[in-house]
Amino acid sequence: MIEIFDPKALDPNKDYGTPPSLSETLVTLDIDGVSVTVPEGTSVLRAAALADINIPKLCASDNLESFGSCRICAVEIAGRRGFPASCTTPVEAGMQVNTQTEKVAKLRRNIMELYISDHPLDCLTCPSNGDCELQDMAGAVGLREVRYGFDGDNHLDAAKDESNPYFTFDPSKCIVCSRCVRACEEVQGTFALTVDGRGFESTIAAGQDESFLESDCVSCGACVQACPTSTLMEKSVIDAGQPEHSVVTTCAYCGVGCSFKAEMKGDQVIRMVPYKGGDANMGHSCVKGRFAFGYATHKDRITDPMIRDSIDQPWRAVSWDEAIGFAAGRFKSIQAEHGRESLGGITSSRCTNEETYLVQKLIRAGFGNNNTDTCARVCHSPTGYGLKVTLGESAGTQTFESVLQSDVIMVVGANPTDAHPVFGSLLRKRLRQGAKLIVADPRQIDLLKTPHLSEAIHLPLRPGTNVALINALAHVIVTEGLEDRAFIAERCSDNSYDQWRAFIQHETNSPEKMAEVTGVPASSVREAARLFANAGNGSIYYGLGVTEHSQGSTMVMGIANLALATGNIGREGVGVNPLRGQNNVQGSCDMGSFPHDLPGYQHISDDAARGRFEAEWGVKLDNEPGLRIPNMFDAAIAGHFKGMYVQGEDIAQSDPNLHHVEAALKSLDCLVVQDIFLNETARFAHVLLPGSTFLEKDGTFTNAERRINRVRKVMAPLGGKQDWEVTMMLSNALGYPMDYSHPSEIMDEIARLTPTFTGVSYDKLEELGSIQWPCNELYPEGTPTMHVTDFPIGKGEFAVTEYLATEERASRRFPLLLTTGRILSQYNVGAQTRRTDNQMWHDEDVLELHPSDAETRGIQDGDWLGISSRVGQTVLRAVLSERMQPGVVYTTFHHPDSGANVITTDNSDWATNCPEYKVTAVQVEKVSQPSEWQQNFVSFRDQQNALLEKGRRREGI
Amino acid sequence: MQTELEHLIQMANQIVANNSFQKDIEQTAATTANHLQKFWARSMKKQIIDYAAQDGSDLSPAAKLAVQQLAS
Repeated sequence: MIEIFDPKALDPNKDYGTPPSLSETLVTLDIDGVSVTVPEGTSVLRAAALADINIPKLCASDNLESFGSCRICAVEIAGRRGFPASCTTPVEAGMQVNTQTEKVAKLRRNIMELYISDHPLDCLTCPSNGDCELQDMAGAVGLREVRYGFDGDNHLDAAKDESNPYFTFDPSKCIVCSRCVRACEEVQGTFALTVDGRGFESTIAAGQDESFLESDCVSCGACVQACPTSTLMEKSVIDAGQPEHSVVTTCAYCGVGCSFKAEMKGDQVIRMVPYKGGDANMGHSCVKGRFAFGYATHKDRITDPMIRDSIDQPWRAVSWDEAIGFAAGRFKSIQAEHGRESLGGITSSRCTNEETYLVQKLIRAGFGNNNTDTCARVCHSPTGYGLKVTLGESAGTQTFESVLQSDVIMVVGANPTDAHPVFGSLLRKRLRQGAKLIVADPRQIDLLKTPHLSEAIHLPLRPGTNVALINALAHVIVTEGLEDRAFIAERCSDNSYDQWRAFIQHETNSPEKMAEVTGVPASSVREAARLFANAGNGSIYYGLGVTEHSQGSTMVMGIANLALATGNIGREGVGVNPLRGQNNVQGSCDMGSFPHDLPGYQHISDDAARGRFEAEWGVKLDNEPGLRIPNMFDAAIAGHFKGMYVQGEDIAQSDPNLHHVEAALKSLDCLVVQDIFLNETARFAHVLLPGSTFLEKDGTFTNAERRINRVRKVMAPLGGKQDWEVTMMLSNALGYPMDYSHPSEIMDEIARLTPTFTGVSYDKLEELGSIQWPCNELYPEGTPTMHVTDFPIGKGEFAVTEYLATEERASRRFPLLLTTGRILSQYNVGAQTRRTDNQMWHDEDVLELHPSDAETRGIQDGDWLGISSRVGQTVLRAVLSERMQPGVVYTTFHHPDSGANVITTDNSDWATNCPEYKVTAVQVEKVSQPSEWQQNFVSFRDQQNALLEKGRRREGI
Repeated sequence: MQTELEHLIQMANQIVANNSFQKDIEQTAATTANHLQKFWARSMKKQIIDYAAQDGSDLSPAAKLAVQQLAS
């Protein structure tokens, strides 16, 4: 007898026809004489597939609800009339199913015959030859003739739609199974596709009968993956043919960390297909991970090490040994002249855990100081601080899947449908199922426009007033007696609760008082607070709209307060969930990139922890924290910080107040940049070391759920070395020996030194697929949900979170507030996505402003606008948008020449120095030419590109 | 453009402002000193300590006290 309990133990490469049932009641039935036991609610099609009895199917797929349109999965069931479709028929106890009878065979052949009578017979030249479900099913049912002929009405001349840069829509091959339409609705949640017309006239249409590119389609690829024929087909497969092998790896874009199968021909990636066995994405993807991988082989890739004495000289391509020797020599002489603390480095949140670990090790052990930092400084460092203080661990508490058990979902300062699209789709799925939504954001984000959204409350606060809003929400909960007293009594420290309670009850925190500050009507705040407090499961998701403020850390603690007060911690469906920006930003923080934290958030001043590292590394470590990124810039300008090693990070585009950043970089004696391109930072560098993309290396990434996923090498590094090998060379040249032959050895060292990683190894990752830390003796298979019985600090700590207005205020001279964000098709500084066809969706950053602000300034859509702040000026094109509230303007920073960060200021979070990107007071006015910074930018970029070309030409590269 | 020291002074004052709710100056200074001890680099500590010893006029009273505690 076959018993199937756990749907996750199945083969991720097989399609079981319909989704799993989560029922715990089991039902036993008989299929073709085999006794099968499955959860109640399972379809006959799936039950059979679980027993490896594979009923033909066309319109069914196990990531979509059953539909029953093709009828090819018809079976006979004892005691029932006719031929029920096995996909829409749930199992019943004692049911006797026959999947292969003469009558059924004839029926299936007849259906297939009808399909094929309106389908081109060009299989040999068809792009999906070898990977076509229609072809497979024709074979399975034994189709031998088409008696209707091919001369009748048909769709064979239907025109192709090739508007999307990544896939083609060829309706002549469409069988109107509607899998694409359902994937767009059920998996992605965009509802861009529909079946237009009826009967024979039925066709698949995008949007209001537009081209795919013009429609609402977000190019996630779910429809392409769902298509059983070559109607929706990747252009790369049309060009290159079917891939011949595949490797499972992890996407290097956002913090969702999707698993993909890199489908290959030799060492060429033909397509990336989301992997159903990936626990973060469960088979879904977005336009970046799915399609935008062409940057890896772009002509701009740096493949030779290069050096120069000063930044006005041409680059010289040299051997690895010469480049490393040059860098090490300069670093040594800087330290000899300016002291041990005159060097520092930045680890990369785009590189692997192992690579990040190695860079901070090089800095601490090789440079002999703690001047290490990472891009989390400018994004989620307040999360690290705030969650450590309140919950005892610097990480989110849940799995992504947990959202499917939430009843009320609060999204604060995050825009998941653009910045974390695959999680955004999961969230939308839960909203369609009836969960309620609260959005706290200055902008009307797309989540509020989710099709089939039930109840939603938007709290459109003024930028910079997060803490006022979260306090007002908590005030309502406490003063109306809505808190979870049992949870607070059992799980939280009494002292901290009493103090916080006294603080939050104070009239100054009431929604009525705070409305003057936040601009949000008190009634909405009260309604939202009651909704959240009375939810069975209330979860909070937040992004950089929380952290990138002068009170970023305070706000993180305010969010934790709210979760603690309502008892929404420690089970599925609840929790505090930071949506991490870059692929491995969680990992780079975990790996000891911060100047004060050794790997696993062990403070550098903790003698016992530091002692373990000293013993393993064989050196004495400095017990004082080092400089953070903004402190490094200050120190460089002041003249006592002289050399930097920057791996995979573009501080000259991504960091605020670029005038300041550029001044700092220009004052360095030696800047070593390791990157895949000549990025903006590299234009200020003396040594350029070729980096490798995620396709060229082995290692691990850790996503926003604390999930450690394997990255697997599918092609040789174009520069000849993986990034960890380069760091090792530099360390050896500096006289601190490192000797690893594979990243798994680095992970073993991490496991020896990091209490939350002691159970992690490459062997276990192979076995389990992925692991959510902590993974140790207590949790040998990892920890999907944190804080179930207690907190790492024992009891949860409430923090007093007084609202203080930011010093960055609107004034008569700068009357508008600028806030910054992301867009779906571009990623971070755009170095990768700008080198792909994703440019077709967003080829310039624009300034969004409300029509009323535009009208008073005489601005129209498309006008060039000068945007001035207290620190700088730039020029962008205007887009009028009612998503904005009056008084607030918005832009993105994906394109370097936009200079969005020329206007952002040095203001930062009080606890962590995380920059206040989300609030800059500005004025806008119509102008006719680029800003002075932009003109200088273009001439400097042209000059640096020429210096690069000179170096390449000289070497005949 | 702010100098390194000006930035440090601003940061110290900001830490004080965010940790002074219903605390007396001693408590705020202790919390602030602890924060500086845990998160500031040696060179940053030295500069602010030197400044507090020589002038310190731009530091808020609690910040000045915190820096003095840090020095001891």
